Order: sequence, then C-alpha cells, then structure tokens
Amino acid sequence: MKMLEGLGKIDRRIIFLAMTIAVIFPLLRPLYLVGRVGRRTEELYKAIDRLPERSFLLISIDFDPSSMPELYPMYLSILRHAFAKNLRVIVMGLWLTGTGLAEEGLRTCAPEYHKIYGEDYIFLGWKAGITAVMFGLGRSLKETYPTDYYGKPVDSYPILKEDITYRDIPFMVSLSAGVPGYETWIAYAQTRFGIKVGAGVTAVSAADAYPYLQSGQLTGLLGGLKSAAEYEYLNEKAGYAKAEKPASQLMDSQSLAHLLIMILVILGNISYFAVRRKR
Amino acid sequence: MMPSPEILTWISAFLTLFIFSFLFGDNPIYRLAEHLYVGVSVGYSIAITWHNALYPDLIVPLFKQGNILYVIPLLLGVLYLSIFFPRLSWLIRLPMGFVLGYGSGVSIPAIMQASIIKQIQGTLLKPDIIHRADLLLWGTISLIGVFSTVIYFFFSRERKGAWRSLAGLGIIFLMVGFGASFGYTVMARVSLLLGRIQFLLRDWLGIIR
Repeated sequence: MKMLEGLGKIDRRIIFLAMTIAVIFPLLRPLYLVGRVGRRTEELYKAIDRLPERSFLLISIDFDPSSMPELYPMYLSILRHAFAKNLRVIVMGLWLTGTGLAEEGLRTCAPEYHKIYGEDYIFLGWKAGITAVMFGLGRSLKETYPTDYYGKPVDSYPILKEDITYRDIPFMVSLSAGVPGYETWIAYAQTRFGIKVGAGVTAVSAADAYPYLQSGQLTGLLGGLKSAAEYEYLNEKAGYAKAEKPASQLMDSQSLAHLLIMILVILGNISYFAVRRKR
Repeated sequence: MMPSPEILTWISAFLTLFIFSFLFGDNPIYRLAEHLYVGVSVGYSIAITWHNALYPDLIVPLFKQGNILYVIPLLLGVLYLSIFFPRLSWLIRLPMGFVLGYGSGVSIPAIMQASIIKQIQGTLLKPDIIHRADLLLWGTISLIGVFSTVIYFFFSRERKGAWRSLAGLGIIFLMVGFGASFGYTVMARVSLLLGRIQFLLRDWLGIIR
C-alpha cells in the first residue's frame, strides 16, 4: 500500500530526468516508429497538390518564434511543396514578430528550387490594421500592399504586374499560433469573399479548429508537430523534397515522451484511488 | 561531435540552459535570462514596429509625401499617451471610441456569420451526408453532442428524468473535449521542449544531423 501511495509523490526531478532520457535517447538512436498520415493532413496536402501550375498560393505567417518548433517545419514543407508544383507563392503575415521567420523560410527554400524573387514568389510582410488589410485584399492587392516587405512597388515585379484579389487566389494557408490567425481569415476572408482556407495550428489550438472542418470552413488542418512530420513524409514520398526533415526527426522522441506521460497519469490515478480507499 | 563555431549559437544555447535551470528552482541565472528575454522582446517589437509600420505607413506619407490626411491617425495615436497626464486622461476615450466603434462594426457581422450561423449549419444533418455512412454517423454524434452539451448549460429547469440523462450525456461530451484538448496541450509542450533539445544537440553540439 505504501508503494502505491508513494507513486503519487515521485520527486519531480526524477520525472524531469525520465523525460530528458525519453526525449534525447531516440534522437541519438532513432527507433523508426511507424506512424500513419492523418486524413486532415492529407486533405490540406491534396488541396495544394491539385492547384494548377502557376496559380497563386497565399501563405499567412500568423506566429512568432515562440511557436517555431511546431509551425516552422509546416511552413518549410508547404513552401517546398508549392515550389515543387511551380505555384506562385505570396507570403504575408498577421503577426509583426513573425516577419523574420517568414523571410528566413523563403531564403531557405527558394534556392533549393531555383525560384526567383518577384517572379515565382513575393514577400509582402506585415501591415497595420488587420481587418482593413483582409477586406482590402478582396478589392485590390496593389492598393492594400503598394510595396513589398523591402519597400519596392509590388507592380514592379512580374508576379504582380497585374492586380489581383482573392478571386485570383484559389487557396490560402494560415499558419496560426493564436489570434489573429486562421479564425480571422475564416471570419473576414473565407466567409465574405469565399477563398478556400487551410490551416496549420499549434497542437494546443488544434482541438478548437475541428468544428471549422465539420462545417467546411476549413479545407485541411495541420495540428502540431505530428502533422508537420506527416507533411514532410508526403512531400518526400511524392519526390517534392529531399531536404532534411526536422519534424520527422523528432517524432520518435514525441512518441516516447507521450508514452511516459501516459504511464505517469496511470500511476498517479492508481495512487489516488489507493489513498482514497485507505481513507 | 562538431560544436558550432557561431558565437550567437553559443549565446542562444547558454540562455536555453539558463532557462532550463528553473527546473531546479528559482535562481539568479534563470532571472538573468528571463530579464534579457523580456528586454530583447520589447526592443525587437519596438524596432520592427518602427520599420514595418510607423515609418512606411505614417512618417513617409505625412512628412515626405505631404499627405495631410495622415494627421488624423497621428492625432488619434498621440491621444493614447494622454493616459499619463491625469488632467488630460479623458482624451483617451476618443481613440478608444474610434477603435471600439470600427472594431465592433467590422467584427460583429463577420463573427456572427463565421462562428454562429455557419457552425449551426455545420451541425445540422444535411441531405447529402445520408449517402455516406461515416459522414452520417459522425454528423449524428456531433448533433447529439451539441444538443446534450447545450442542455447541460441550461440552468432554468430542474434536472430530472430524461432532462437529467441528457445533461449527463453532455458532461461526457465535455470530458471527451477536455481530454482531447489536454492531449493536444501535452503534445504542444513536448514539441516546444523537443525544439530546444534539437537545437542543443544539432545546432550547438553537432551530435545529431
């Protein structure tokens, strides 16, 4: 009985040590645990995969460095997919502090596919007045963003020689760590202008996004690091990307950490019921 | 093992370890990293706001292009600072009123449409789902879940009989929802830890590729 009671009082430093081992061991000795691609990840992947060559894909970077481990691998995978499919990519963001990451992702992926700035992709950066920006894009991109992130007029680039609106963008993805994010895009762009929206979200907010799938307001959803790894797998399987797979590398560690947490939850419950029965 | 030659990577690695030291209790090196984080974040936000918003969207059009209309947003912005002067602090109501009025006008119809009307439509069983068994099953479960959960939050009637059973079913749906949220939260927190561990082992120490 004492042992059962003791299970509920494990020294937290032992838990930290066990978690450290569970996380580091698979990184040093990969276990190659098999996972399967989720239906929602596949939906998002297919929505991008079906886009005709040279059509526009809008990516909104609605996160900052604090959510980088989960959302940045998604961003890289979607960029690689879009470049491999020869889509024209427009990157912007609703989070001011995410502009650096957005630019870094483009600098990483564009050279891998020999893509040229201003012809194959453009970075619009962040702009104050989020709702006004979203409504503005339904009227005219040039009026909303007269210049790109670097201050050069957007119509000086071949990619935006002609003005576009949501009607010219068949699909967009919001990589979102909170508000403003995918919900903002649904409320102001999807509902009003009918643009198809896909989302990549942090695992914390993934459960909240499911009702939007049920109602058809979202087309595909990437939830947390697992979905990022799934997208990397789909890209590799189709031969779209041969670069490193940061999310996939972490999946064994993620699985072992989850296993440890489940064991701890079970032990905690056993101890709780043992103590309660004694009283 | 190929440790990084970059000085910035080393600084970043040590700051990560300083933050992790909180696991053994509050200590001066943790506080040093914490204060640095707050200071750098604020400094970064100020710099990036100046370069991305204030300078291109206000200073250039007003002072370099002479567009006098931009005086209005400048004045509204400056009035926010009146909060620091007790005798003038009432002036803050002007920009607040503008922002609230604009915000409500823009948001209410959009949120009503996206989060209420479309969600109700998504919950209803539509004729086209009858042809697919999986859609029909999940649609029915979803409808029962919404209905019973709403009944759980209906407090104007005594819970007895069928009403009580439905409210009880609502609790089960709520618990499943909380469980899913908790599971995802665990995944998110572990992912953040993994991101840092990957940085330490790969980018800093070069132990893994």
